[in-house]
Amino acid sequence: MSNLLKYMVENASIILDYASTHFSLIFSAVAISLVLWIPLGILISRNERLASIVLGIANTIFCIPSLALFSVFVTIPFLGLGRPSSLLALVLYAMMPMVINVYQGIKVVDKSVIEAAKGMGMNSRRILREIQLPLAAPVMFAGIRITVVMATGIAAIAAYIGERNLGRLITEGLTRYHVEMILSGAILIALIAILFDNVLGAVERMLVPKGLKVSRSK
Amino acid sequence: MIELRDVTKIYPGQTVPAVKDLTLKIEEGETCVFVGPSGCGKSTILRMINRMIEQTSGTILINNKDIRETDPDRLRMGIGYVIQQIGLLPHRTIAENIAIVPRLYGWDKERIRKRVDELLELVGLDPDETRAKYPAQLSGGQMQRVGVARAMAADPPIMLMDEPFGAVDPIVRGHLQDEFLKLQREMKKTICFVTHDINEAIKMGDKIAIFEKGQLVQHGTPQEILSNPKNEFVRTFIGYDRVVKMLTLFQVRSITKKNSYSIIRENELANIRQKMDDEQSTVCILMNESTRPCGLITRDDLEKAGEVGPEKIKEIACSRKDAFIDGDLLLNDALSLMLEWNCDCLGVLDGAELIGVISLNDIRECVRRKEGA
Amino acid sequence: MNMARFLDALSRVPEELTIHIIMVLISLAVAIAISLPLGVLLTRPRFRKLGALVMNILNIFQAFPGMAIIALTMPVLGMGLKPAIGALVVQALLPIARNTIAGLYGVDPNTKEAAQGMGMPERKVLFEVELPLAMPVILAGIRTSAVYVVSVGTLAAYIGGGGLGDIIVAGLNMLWAEFIIVGAGFGALLAIAFDRGLSYLERKFTPPGFIVTE
Repeated sequence: MSNLLKYMVENASIILDYASTHFSLIFSAVAISLVLWIPLGILISRNERLASIVLGIANTIFCIPSLALFSVFVTIPFLGLGRPSSLLALVLYAMMPMVINVYQGIKVVDKSVIEAAKGMGMNSRRILREIQLPLAAPVMFAGIRITVVMATGIAAIAAYIGERNLGRLITEGLTRYHVEMILSGAILIALIAILFDNVLGAVERMLVPKGLKVSRSK
Repeated sequence: MIELRDVTKIYPGQTVPAVKDLTLKIEEGETCVFVGPSGCGKSTILRMINRMIEQTSGTILINNKDIRETDPDRLRMGIGYVIQQIGLLPHRTIAENIAIVPRLYGWDKERIRKRVDELLELVGLDPDETRAKYPAQLSGGQMQRVGVARAMAADPPIMLMDEPFGAVDPIVRGHLQDEFLKLQREMKKTICFVTHDINEAIKMGDKIAIFEKGQLVQHGTPQEILSNPKNEFVRTFIGYDRVVKMLTLFQVRSITKKNSYSIIRENELANIRQKMDDEQSTVCILMNESTRPCGLITRDDLEKAGEVGPEKIKEIACSRKDAFIDGDLLLNDALSLMLEWNCDCLGVLDGAELIGVISLNDIRECVRRKEGA
Repeated sequence: MNMARFLDALSRVPEELTIHIIMVLISLAVAIAISLPLGVLLTRPRFRKLGALVMNILNIFQAFPGMAIIALTMPVLGMGLKPAIGALVVQALLPIARNTIAGLYGVDPNTKEAAQGMGMPERKVLFEVELPLAMPVILAGIRTSAVYVVSVGTLAAYIGGGGLGDIIVAGLNMLWAEFIIVGAGFGALLAIAFDRGLSYLERKFTPPGFIVTE
């Protein structure tokens, strides 16, 4: 244990360096995913046939082992080793949790609320903006949370295709059989994943509209 | 004024139309109740009027303008819409819910605020208590009232109501119906009201339209339908108690006889038979010291009792001390009370003052007259 | 694209694929053997509170990246196929345990009450009412686990575990696209095969007229 701490302190600057690369990959991936997958989720919530096609594709992509997907992108001339392949793979993996959560979040909104709103003269854009999105927000955000936690783990694997992030501590550590290195990498990545999960979980709970949290006793 | 001309609706993939060749006119200020068994198409018709569903063929006109010529959203803003499940936005306060259509119209905040409070009072809710609450904090009855208030927010001339009082228990429903009738007497909106309950239809409607399997079977006032059901279906739908249902349309006041009874005091009881012969009355009301009615006795009672003294007569009369009803009571309730107190006559009061009597025969005559109509 | 290399890669597939499948099947079997009874036990009324606690812990561990777990088992168990299976079992436990518990909790209490009210002994209620009704959710958990294990199983190559990962890693090290594509391709196919196969089972086990909500 003390060896571990000693190792981490001695190599703090490299570790921080790796950590920042790790974060930048995660956040870039999440940012692109938000822009791509949320609108797609909204789109398929209106079209069942499209929904089953899109969700089928997302599910299939999601099944592909991460090392496999990363490696395949490496073989493509435009992408190669490093950031482009990693980013593309992460964004593709994010498709499943994000699209399905946006889709389900919107679908689950009480139909009689929408009927009443439509009957009052609200147009579809308004209904989406003022009713469906606020009520779907917690579930949609859960998708973002899952994506971030997942990306934390998968980004580590990207170390095998040239990313210089915390995964490197593990890969190098395995090669050199340096136990403290392996442990520091594994524990740090795990801790960051758990931290994200809890913090974002708290945000998710805050997004639940007040009207849904109160009850008659209050 | 709403007019439907040869309106038909066939859902895709179905062979049997949900609504077939419907031609119906609803006058301004009229409450027309669409009633019929489940699946008869009544809700479908309602939802075609505000274009929530598009008709397959036929025309629907509102104030002589084809509804297809107006933008659907705009059309709906001008029509109040209340559904059974209410559909309040759960994430908005009551005030925000009611303010929806006014906001769509672009009213300013002050005007909206006033209108919200006005409406909450109108539907019997305390504005200060209710406006900042969320739907989850209200009871079923309260939510239903808010639903109605919300539909009236921009004061639309037309309202469409689909089983609006369906989601509450019968007692609350009765209150809501009464209050809505009172409102309608003041507002005089054109209302289309859907229900599966014939009793609600009779109570709420100026006119009733009965539907079966997508077709209009009979259209008329409650009176017309009850006294002249068009066919076996209507008769069965109304039920065996058709005549008793018709009695709900009349108040005791309308058949009260003012001159066919005698008044007697306790000290005059010995001469009761004489008095009744002299005044040619069939029923006698016993008054107490403060000239308030405290008993009732009929000629039949006296005959059945035979030769008895004033004490016994007083006993018989006072056993009926509750057989006095208010003029506003409905005839069916009066009939029920006659059966309950085993007495063919009831005294009629206005407040605490006696204004007349009604008898079982009076009710019979009323029915005979209306049945002929 | 070098044909010779391509064929070379293909020639390795039978062995590595078999190892990979064995890895997955053994890990799943062990994980199911542990998680299923554990899940059932934790949902019994006696252990309700413990069950809720375990759910919370499992939820926390769900966030653990697969690579971290593989990396953490190496110092403890060493290198090779058996340690790899060990790591995969740990990975596979979580989704199966979570879904077993969630699936059993999700059974309509009214249905259970009706069964008990008819005189069904506890054991019968479990096997004839609760488990069949929870089966779709449990199978969904097994499916998630299976796909996850195939994926993390590719990393087993880095701790000497063998499997399709070996082919991919060889390709990465030498930048031989042929090896990468063959290894990754079969890896993907294997994962999709498990996913589709278990999906089919899930549908088969869903009682007719039953809607599963997650």
